[in-house]
Amino acid sequence: MKFSLARPALALAILATLAACGGGGKATFPINVTVSNVQYPGLILSTNGMDYTVNPPATAGQDVTFAFPNPIEYGQTYDVIPKGQTVTNGTVTALGQQPAHQTCSSPTFPKSGTAGQLARIDIRYVCAVNTFPLTGTVKGLTGAGLTLANGSTYLPVPVSPATDSAGAVTGADVPFAMNSVPYGTTYGVTVLTQPKDQTCTVTGGANGTGGGTMDDAAEKAGGVTNLVVTCVKSS
Amino acid sequence: MKSSILRASAVSLACALVLSACGGGGGDLTLGGAVQNVTKDGLVLQNNGGDDTAVVTPYTSFQFTNRVSTDDQFNITVKSIPSNASECHVNNGKARANYYSIYQVSVACTIKQHALTVTVNNPTGVGITIVNGSDKKDVAADTKPVSVSMSPVNEDGPYGITVLTQPAGHTCTVTGGSTGNGSGTMGSDENTTVTVTCA
Repeated sequence: MKFSLARPALALAILATLAACGGGGKATFPINVTVSNVQYPGLILSTNGMDYTVNPPATAGQDVTFAFPNPIEYGQTYDVIPKGQTVTNGTVTALGQQPAHQTCSSPTFPKSGTAGQLARIDIRYVCAVNTFPLTGTVKGLTGAGLTLANGSTYLPVPVSPATDSAGAVTGADVPFAMNSVPYGTTYGVTVLTQPKDQTCTVTGGANGTGGGTMDDAAEKAGGVTNLVVTCVKSS
Repeated sequence: MKSSILRASAVSLACALVLSACGGGGGDLTLGGAVQNVTKDGLVLQNNGGDDTAVVTPYTSFQFTNRVSTDDQFNITVKSIPSNASECHVNNGKARANYYSIYQVSVACTIKQHALTVTVNNPTGVGITIVNGSDKKDVAADTKPVSVSMSPVNEDGPYGITVLTQPAGHTCTVTGGSTGNGSGTMGSDENTTVTVTCA
């Protein structure tokens, strides 16, 4: 008597357990996403016909975490991309809906897969502030030893005089490139060491003396390329 | 009797020599690693108290001359540090050698930093903005000289103070620093001062 009751109860318990495992339908998997270093609005992540607008966190520097509204079923594939991103032959040809002034990518963790491959779907995106070139021309350089600096953030940039095929100094214009500057930060190019027997001064940039801010105008222009370093014989 | 002792000791000595030759650099694992925050000569590393290895330009990695064998104990220590570093430490520097452990070693130094102070003589009573590259400081209008602390600068690292925005109707010029034009290389002196004078 006692046993006959226990047996159906056990069967029921097993059924209930199976149902929890997915016996009542396929298991579902929420697509969890963590995005680091979002500083500007505009990012839209997209997968399986769902879009999610990722805004900067309330507290700067914190990660943004969310799950797409609808979980997907076991066996369904997913590929979380900035909306509209296209990849041709392994190369990103359109970045998609990125934040303003930033580019987000998923460099270390896979952003695509099949639900059920892993116990939990965790997508990671990391955003970096876009950087823009800071370049120009050195005019009249004949002496050795010129180095240019942009504050203390980067290593100084040495510039050598132009030479002809015989190795003789010609004094022709020499292009130079400082380290690229992130959007929203200032730059101020100075002469760190003067060339032998010459004195060089920096002009150009947004303020006319080699300084400025990598702002919207500079971003639109694709960077600051109008720096001029003019070198003359020391008096 | 005598000859047997001689023979035995000679043989064992020869054996010992051969064995020590095997252990001291005859292995097949190269011991080395990445180096961070080193900008000049002076960092010397040792393994097990010897095999001195200087980290040279471009100061991004090091490699000991003597190879090690699997299961050899290695213990990498810092013998000397560059003059502009406050300390250098070895990560995962002590272990038994195998194909995993030899790739976990790295060395990181901390570069000394010094204050960079700008004195702004701005009797015009108009605010200006000065920058050291990406380090930006707004200076409020003041008829007295104002002392502005910029972010600290690495010893032996560059700096270059410029005026980002000239006040309307005035011109501010930058002097001082090790080159005289507001830029230079940070020495070991704690009191590097640049002067901005507006007229």
